[in-house]
Amino acid sequence: MKPARRTAEHAQRFLEGRFRGAIEQAPGGNAILRLPLGALDRAAALLTAEGARFISVFVAGQPDRSLIAAFAFRGQVVALRAPLENSAASYPALSLHLPAARLAERELHDREGLTPLGHPDLRPVLRPDVDALEQRIAGPESFVIPYGPIRSGIFEAIQHVVETAGEDVLALETRPYFKHRGLEQRFAELAPDRAVLVAERVAGIATVAHAIAFSQAVEATLEVEPPEQAQLWRVVHAELERMANHLDVAMKLAEDAALAVGVARFGILKEDVLRLRARLCGSRFGRGAVRPGGIGVWPLLHPDELRGWLDNFERDLVRDRRLLMRTTSFTDRLIGSGRLDRETVDQLGGVGPVARAAGISTDARFERPYGGYARLGFEVVTAEEGDAMARLEVRFGEIRESLHLTRQALDRLQRLADTPVRSELPAGSGAAFGWAEAPQGELVYWAELEAGRLAHVHVSSPSLHNWPVFVASFRGDVLTDFSFIEHSFGLTAAGADR
Amino acid sequence: MLAWIARGLRKRIVTSRYPRVAEAQLPGFRARVELTDSEGATSELERVCPTGAIGVAGDGRVSLDRGRCILCGACVSAEPERFRFAGEYETASRRRSGIVVGAHVQRELEALRLPLGERARSLRRSVHIRHVDAGSDGSEEWEIQALTNPYYDMQRLGLYFTLSPRHADVLLVTGAVTRVMEEPLRRAYEVMPEPKAVVAAGTEACSGGLAAAIGEVAGGLDRVLPVDVYVPGAPPSPIALLHGLLLAAGIVNEEAAA
Repeated sequence: MKPARRTAEHAQRFLEGRFRGAIEQAPGGNAILRLPLGALDRAAALLTAEGARFISVFVAGQPDRSLIAAFAFRGQVVALRAPLENSAASYPALSLHLPAARLAERELHDREGLTPLGHPDLRPVLRPDVDALEQRIAGPESFVIPYGPIRSGIFEAIQHVVETAGEDVLALETRPYFKHRGLEQRFAELAPDRAVLVAERVAGIATVAHAIAFSQAVEATLEVEPPEQAQLWRVVHAELERMANHLDVAMKLAEDAALAVGVARFGILKEDVLRLRARLCGSRFGRGAVRPGGIGVWPLLHPDELRGWLDNFERDLVRDRRLLMRTTSFTDRLIGSGRLDRETVDQLGGVGPVARAAGISTDARFERPYGGYARLGFEVVTAEEGDAMARLEVRFGEIRESLHLTRQALDRLQRLADTPVRSELPAGSGAAFGWAEAPQGELVYWAELEAGRLAHVHVSSPSLHNWPVFVASFRGDVLTDFSFIEHSFGLTAAGADR
Repeated sequence: MLAWIARGLRKRIVTSRYPRVAEAQLPGFRARVELTDSEGATSELERVCPTGAIGVAGDGRVSLDRGRCILCGACVSAEPERFRFAGEYETASRRRSGIVVGAHVQRELEALRLPLGERARSLRRSVHIRHVDAGSDGSEEWEIQALTNPYYDMQRLGLYFTLSPRHADVLLVTGAVTRVMEEPLRRAYEVMPEPKAVVAAGTEACSGGLAAAIGEVAGGLDRVLPVDVYVPGAPPSPIALLHGLLLAAGIVNEEAAA
C-alpha cells in the first residue's frame, strides 16, 4: 500500500501549491477546500486537468450550508466547498468543462432549485414522464421505441428511449429515477445503527457495499476504527457480494444468447453464493452483516467450512467459465458490442468494471484502501478492448481475485477468533466521506452527524455514473445488441435512483 | 453444444420438490420473525421497531405486522425472550391481516377479495405472470428471477413469466410504488384480461417498508391496486415467492400460520 500513500502526499503538495489558504481540513487522506461559489467551476476544471475524477456535487449542511463538489484525486477524496448564501440561486455549471457532472447537476437543479448556469440540458430528471418521447433524429424512416419502465423480463424499472430506422440504434436516451424513493431524506434524525438499514436498501444487490461505505463515513466522522476481525469479515461479505453480482451478469448474458444450459449453470452458481451468504449471516443479501463500528451478526460459519466451500465453488466455476468463453455463438455477440474508448469513459467519469474494461485502472479498494483491504493483496483486473466481452472478462478476473481476497481474509481470521467485532460509537458531531468499491464500481457516501444522529446524507452511486457511459457505448450497434450491452454493464436502477 | 449438455447433466437434479415435499430450511436463514410471547408488554416496545411493525394494545398484548417487518432484528436483540428469527418460509397470505400475528388481530372484519380460488381455478397448470418493478431496492428482482433457475424451476408447476400484461393472469409487483410508477403500473393492470390476481412481493410492496415515511412513494401496493396475495419479506426468498404465487393461482390453499 506504499504507492497509494506516496500519491496521497503528491496530491497534498499539489493542493497546497495551487489552493494555498483554501484548505480547511485534511484529515486522513481527505481534503476540503473552501472556495467562493463563483470559483467552483474553474477549480473543478483545474483538478480534472490534473487527472481528478468527478464523484458528485450536492448541497451539504455542515459546517454551514454549502455546495460541495467531490473528486477522486490521487488517492484522496478532495472536496471543493462553496458556502451558499441564502440568496444564492445559481452558480457557474461544472458541466461546461466536466460532462461527468451533467446528471448530478440536473438532479441538484430539481432538488434544491439551484441553477447551474450554462448547463446544456436542464430538463427535469427526478420525475420522468413515461409518455414524453421527444424525437431527436428527423426523417420519415426514423421512429422512437420507448423501452421501459416496465421491461421485457424480470428487470428493474428504467426507461430507454431508442431511436431507430429499423435496425441501427441512431440515438438513445436513458432515463433513470423511476425508482426515486427519496431515501437520502430517510436518513435524517436516525441513529447510525438505524440509518444503516436505509443504506442497505438503497441498492439491494449491493447491500454490503452500501452498508460499508455508510459505516465508514460514520466511523470517519466519529474517529472510530472497527476491530480487525470486523474489518476482515466485511471483506468476506463484500467479496461474496461481488461474486454474486458478476455471476448474475454472466447468467443474464448467457440468457441473451439463448444458451439454456449456460443460464442454468450460472444460475446455480449464483444461487449457491446466495445460499452460502444466508448460511453465513442469515440473509441472502448480507443484510445485517455490517453495522457502524463493526459487524452486526456473529458469523455462523467457521473459516474452515467457508474455505472448503470456496474450493468446490471454484472448481465448478472454472469449468463453466471455460465452456462459456469457448462457445462462439456466445462470444460472437459480445466481441465488439458496446465498445468504449478510454477517453469517453474518462470524460464521463465511468467507474467499476466498465472503466476497468476500457483500460482505466480505477478501484476504490486499491486507490484508497479501506478497512481490511489495506492488509490484503490483490490485482486490479483490467482489459483494453472496452467492449461487452472485455467487461465480462474483467468480471471473471474479479471473481478470481475475490476468491483470493476471501481466502487471505479467512487465513487471518483464523488467528483472530477471540477478538472483538464491534467498537462503541460515541455520540459526536461532524461530517465525512466514506467509500467502498461496490460490484458496480466506486460508491461514495457523505454523512453528517449531529450529536450522534444523522442529519444529511448524500449517496454517489456507481450506477448513476455509468448510465451516461452506457449511452455513449452505442456506436453502430443494432437493436439486437441492446440487451447484451445493457447486461454487460451490470448496473442497478435502484442504486442510481436512490 | 454437446459439451454443454454433458455439463448440464453432471450436476444431476438439484430441483426442489416444493410444494409436494416441504423445502429444507437453510440453517440460520432469517425468513421471518416469530412472536413467542405476546403478553404483558408496555408501549415502549413499539419504539424498538424502525418500521412500526410492532403494536401494543392497551392491555399489554403484542401484535407483529409482518407486512411492515423488514427483518432487521432490532426486536430480536432487544427482547430475545419475546421475538426470534425463524426459517419458516410460507409467509404469504390472501388477507392483509393474515400477515399480522399476535393477540389482537381481527380477521373476520376483512372482506376477502374472493372468490380468488374461483377465479383462479380456470388458470390451473398454466399461469402466466407479469412482473412490474414499482420501486424496489433491486433484490426482489433477483429473487423472482431465481424462480426460473434449476433449484426452484417454477415451470414444473405450470407457472410462466410472460412479457406482455395482456397475456398475464397474475401481476407480481415489487417496491413501495413510487409516484412516477403509479401510472405505468395502473395501465399494466388495466390491460390484463379477467380473471386476474395481484401479488405484492416483499415488505416494501406490502406496506412501503422503510420508504413509507417519505412522500416519494405511495407506501404499499394496496393503495394503488387491489391486492390478492401479500408476500412479506425483505426480500422474500424464492420459495416464499413461490408459495405466494401458488396461493394466487389457487394451486395451494394453505396460508401462513399465524
